[in-house]
Amino acid sequence: MRNLPIVLLVLVLASALVAPAVISDFNLRLATLALHTSIAVIGLCIAFGWTGLLHLGQAAFVGIGAYASAILTTRAGLGFWTTMPIALLASGLVALCIAVPMLRLRGHYLALAVLGFNVTFEIVARNWTKLTGGFDGITDIPPVFFFGWLIEGDKGFYYLSLFFVVIVALFGTALRHSRYGRAMIAIRDDELAAGTSSVDVTRIKVLAFVLASVLAGLSGSLYAHHATFIAPQDFEFGRSVTILVMLILGGESSVAGAIIGSVILTFLPELLRFLGDYYQAVFGVLILLILIVMPNGLVGQVQSWRARWAKGRSNG
Amino acid sequence: MSAQVLQLAINALAAGCIYAVVALSVEIAYESTGVVNFAAGQLVTAGALIGLSAVAYTKFNFLPAYLLVIVGMSMIGIVFLICVYLPLRRQSVLTIVIGTVGVGIFIQNVMLLTWGPLPKSVRSPMGSGAIKFGDVSVSLHVLYVIGVTALLIIGMYLLLYRSSLGRQFRATAQDPEAATLMGIRVKQLYALNWILVCVLSGIAGLLFAPMWLVDVTSGDNIGLKAFAAIMIGGFGSVPGAILGGIIVGAIEIFGAFYVSSAFKDALVFALMFLFLLVRPQGIFGERAADRA
Repeated sequence: MRNLPIVLLVLVLASALVAPAVISDFNLRLATLALHTSIAVIGLCIAFGWTGLLHLGQAAFVGIGAYASAILTTRAGLGFWTTMPIALLASGLVALCIAVPMLRLRGHYLALAVLGFNVTFEIVARNWTKLTGGFDGITDIPPVFFFGWLIEGDKGFYYLSLFFVVIVALFGTALRHSRYGRAMIAIRDDELAAGTSSVDVTRIKVLAFVLASVLAGLSGSLYAHHATFIAPQDFEFGRSVTILVMLILGGESSVAGAIIGSVILTFLPELLRFLGDYYQAVFGVLILLILIVMPNGLVGQVQSWRARWAKGRSNG
Repeated sequence: MSAQVLQLAINALAAGCIYAVVALSVEIAYESTGVVNFAAGQLVTAGALIGLSAVAYTKFNFLPAYLLVIVGMSMIGIVFLICVYLPLRRQSVLTIVIGTVGVGIFIQNVMLLTWGPLPKSVRSPMGSGAIKFGDVSVSLHVLYVIGVTALLIIGMYLLLYRSSLGRQFRATAQDPEAATLMGIRVKQLYALNWILVCVLSGIAGLLFAPMWLVDVTSGDNIGLKAFAAIMIGGFGSVPGAILGGIIVGAIEIFGAFYVSSAFKDALVFALMFLFLLVRPQGIFGERAADRA
């Protein structure tokens, strides 16, 4: 049983690899969406789950990545592999400009500033028509070439997204167990104590926030090329809330939880389609239920069950 | 000053009053529980829409209709206390803040199901008349908004700073445990807190509705601007919330006229960011940094 997590991981990866052959085109499209969204959720896991920064504007950073990629490919004719790094850089730089002044302040200042930034981003995307296409957004974003292969349609994009999710998940796991990851957790648990234990609190917070945004940028760049069409409402404040709920549903301090949460919440509107117009109201209640019933998310819940089970066995 | 500037100024003051009332509501929740109430905007819409139905139900008897709204908003406050605040009270403040986001989504979509998506026009109890001062024409509703806001501010001041209840309220905000030891009934005060928060937001809804069209999303923007108002005026300061509200109203109305109506809200947030950069404690606010 000690190898259970590894066995599970291999099983999940294997089924993820064969999934496109089995599931319908529509579900494949959703699965692809869930995969590249989960990159932004892992980003949020770094900033919120580990470092404790209440970040209500992740969608804006996804948007910066998406618009950077879309504008550069449609206007300048650059390819995905050139624009994607630029998109990451753009998201990261904007985040750096926000983070440096904001992160010296108490938590709610960051939350409100980032919320304000998300709303401002929407206003600019809607009204700076020359650059962003305004309300109509940007259409005909070209597909991706991968070593000469044309990646078009959902199957190719599914594997491309899976590839990036695996890399980001490995990076996240390595980060979590590094000096930096431990410093982040220390800040979340007790900022003052972390500071006196010679953790450079502000620097680590800035690092976490910028990393979160860089990953959001990657997610956005993939989103733009997958959807081939982006518009301002894809990156509004409500989307930031959805990304946050994905994280708390899966388990706010776990990379696996981030992926699980984004898969569930991407498919949930389809599974609950019978609710019709009631879905959004139910979604609001769902948020409260998660917070009240399992504040550590699905992964945290399973961990506490396992702990209880192990304890029960050693006692019996 | 030209008549046009005066005209804009009085409209700015009226809009600012509405932001100030919402900011006051957010500020009270923050002071007493540490929670930033992200459902404020949706509560404003709820006040406006419940008001719309109540006024129609009482056949344009505004006084009983508005009493109904206050009762309705108080009930929302109590439901919020029982279903959200009390279950989450022992968890971190961040969790409660996310809870208020969930409440906002819930309220907004229940309203969408109840009142539908179409914008509605709402009548003012003052009718649609206006008074002329020279070249400046001021609608009665605008004067009424300014008057009600002034009364609310005075009322809140007396309640919080000149009554025994207010002293208990502030004591609980500072240290709930010590307050319990002093024999203060903390739970009742939490109830009072959330009732005040909801009623104030609801009144802001009643005030704004006749000035603009109302739909289920119209409060969202008002809530966001109330947050900007608090950041500008200073977190943790009641006068700051009021002054911040009026500044935000002024930027919005003058910005829309002289700069760009598409970017008027961006101007508000730009000023908010400027304050965060240069004077994060706002005009009157608390110490903004955790450490020196």
